[in-house]
Amino acid sequence: MRLPAELRRRGGADTLFGLLGLLGETMPTVAALSGVGRREPRPVERGLPLVVTEVAAAAGDVAVLRLADPASAPLPPWTPGCHVDVRLPSGGLRQYSLCGDPADRSAYRIAVRLVRDGRGGSAEVHALVPGSVVTVSGPRTAFHFTGGGPHLFVAGGIGITPILPMVAEAARRGEEWRLLYLGRSRDSLPFLDELARHGDRVTVRTDDEHGLPGPDLLAAYDGDGNGPQPGFAGGLAAAAVYCCGPAPLLALVREAARDARAFHAERFAPAPVVDGRPFTVKLAGTGRTVEVAADKTMLDALSDAVPSVAYSCRQGFCGTCRVTVLAGGIEHRDRFPERLRRDDEMMPCVSRAEGDHLIIDL
Amino acid sequence: MLKETPPPDNLVLGARDVRFDWSELPRHWVPDEPLATHLMNVLHLLLPAGERWFVEVFKQALPLIHDDDLRRDVLGFIGQEAMHAGAHQGVLDHFAAHGMDCGPFVDQVDWLFSRVMGDRPHLEGRRQTEWLVSRLAVIAAIEHVTAFMGDWILNADGLDAARTDPTMLDLLRWHGAEEVEHRSVAFNLYQHVDGRYLRRIQAMAMVAPMMFVLWRRGVRFMYAVDTELAGHRPPRVRDVRGTAARGVTPSLPHLTRKVLKYFARGYHPSQEGDTDQAVAYLASSPSARAAAERAA
Repeated sequence: MRLPAELRRRGGADTLFGLLGLLGETMPTVAALSGVGRREPRPVERGLPLVVTEVAAAAGDVAVLRLADPASAPLPPWTPGCHVDVRLPSGGLRQYSLCGDPADRSAYRIAVRLVRDGRGGSAEVHALVPGSVVTVSGPRTAFHFTGGGPHLFVAGGIGITPILPMVAEAARRGEEWRLLYLGRSRDSLPFLDELARHGDRVTVRTDDEHGLPGPDLLAAYDGDGNGPQPGFAGGLAAAAVYCCGPAPLLALVREAARDARAFHAERFAPAPVVDGRPFTVKLAGTGRTVEVAADKTMLDALSDAVPSVAYSCRQGFCGTCRVTVLAGGIEHRDRFPERLRRDDEMMPCVSRAEGDHLIIDL
Repeated sequence: MLKETPPPDNLVLGARDVRFDWSELPRHWVPDEPLATHLMNVLHLLLPAGERWFVEVFKQALPLIHDDDLRRDVLGFIGQEAMHAGAHQGVLDHFAAHGMDCGPFVDQVDWLFSRVMGDRPHLEGRRQTEWLVSRLAVIAAIEHVTAFMGDWILNADGLDAARTDPTMLDLLRWHGAEEVEHRSVAFNLYQHVDGRYLRRIQAMAMVAPMMFVLWRRGVRFMYAVDTELAGHRPPRVRDVRGTAARGVTPSLPHLTRKVLKYFARGYHPSQEGDTDQAVAYLASSPSARAAAERAA
């Protein structure tokens, strides 16, 4: 292992880096010795088969389900903001926020609004009956409630689900909080009955009564606490805002909460493919050919063919999934700094072929 | 405050598309604290190469993982580390454009990670796998250090009091908060593929002294290229007592105590650091909030 010239100084070799070089020569042998007796990793099964114990209807075409262990074992613990992955009988995977009480380890509660023209996941959930079994994994959180008030919770429609346990936790801790709950009309809003006990900390704002929400949506909370809706001491600037709802509401609240102390929103899944055309990718290493459908990312297609393919952000900025293109034009859709990306590299999580065909170095 | 719920170890990890503008960065971005500034500048020297190396090694480890949750965590970790490397590289580029060429030192660090710690294509079979596993043990050890340093920076009120440059402080705290967020991943990965105590602490026994030596050299290097410090004597290790007393760097005894925790048999990263605090910082950080808006 030769030392590069810049590691030499005063005419002689650098002592430290000379030693490091020696270390480098011996380390793989030390590693081999350290590995003697190592057992291969054992597969870890994360899916939990849970049985539906109760199905109830709530306002707004919402089904409320309780899921429990078939042998009544306590379920893995969770905190407000957690969701679970539910594997449906058809094989589809959906994420639902837990909206029950974290102290109740005997069951998870989820609430699912029926989306009539959706991908069918919600219809499948609505078809579940007591006794149905689904595989659940998690809970995990992309919307962690950190505590430390004052809090302003903003929920749009079924976006109330992760907020419900947050509200309960804030109340239990005795922290200052308010909830603004928005929707088309009162009869489209689930869980109003459960929220009633919190009195005027909860404000319901519906489009049919107040019109569509505008940029002044949070103005009432930015007062000195003497307005029609009592705000916080310190106004919005003192509050941590937690928002869950449809994208336009989220954008509106994000803007209105610009001066808030903190802004929490559930982290987004990657956006769907827009204006994609189908193409084929040939993997130079194996000669395999992968078809990329118009509505699929090239990364999804590659992952199906090569399960160990690495990726991370799936939004084209982290550079993890970059591959070298050997032939074919690239339609770059990434946000990765261009000066750090070679001309023949692409980010398959968002970018696509310019034509019908690519050959990549994989 | 007494925690009534256990700290969650189940965050969904994801990279944040942060951007930083260094055009207003003063040379000594902790005002009147050149030693604290350069102690933390060493992060910019070490991390781009180091974190790119993490990414490469973790990518190679993916086929070893037989746990869907862990694989998801590792994929999230990789993206966060890639963004860290890029953000610190941005500071280095700014330094180079403003008369502080860190190239010679960075070349040494690159050599360390690519040659000493890098791939050995000629190794075959089991020896290749064990070289990978040993490097995973090294990353787990380094990640213990980055986690407690992340915890330190999130709590370093002294840096606020010293009127530290807000953009740099945000970079360090965004990075520190993500280190706290993902502090269990490298450890859990090592536990999954091997998990034996001796190999784990062997890695720390190498990592901790190495970091000390590199840090010392890095600070002396920064003093050598910082023309505003021409004529200053190079700093000595004991000078850190002063910066630590003013709360603008951690103290050596603090760092030593934290390193030693890794040698406990029952160690787990979730025992250190505060997930609530990290998540709360990321919800208030100007760069992380702008990144969330970009993703929306």
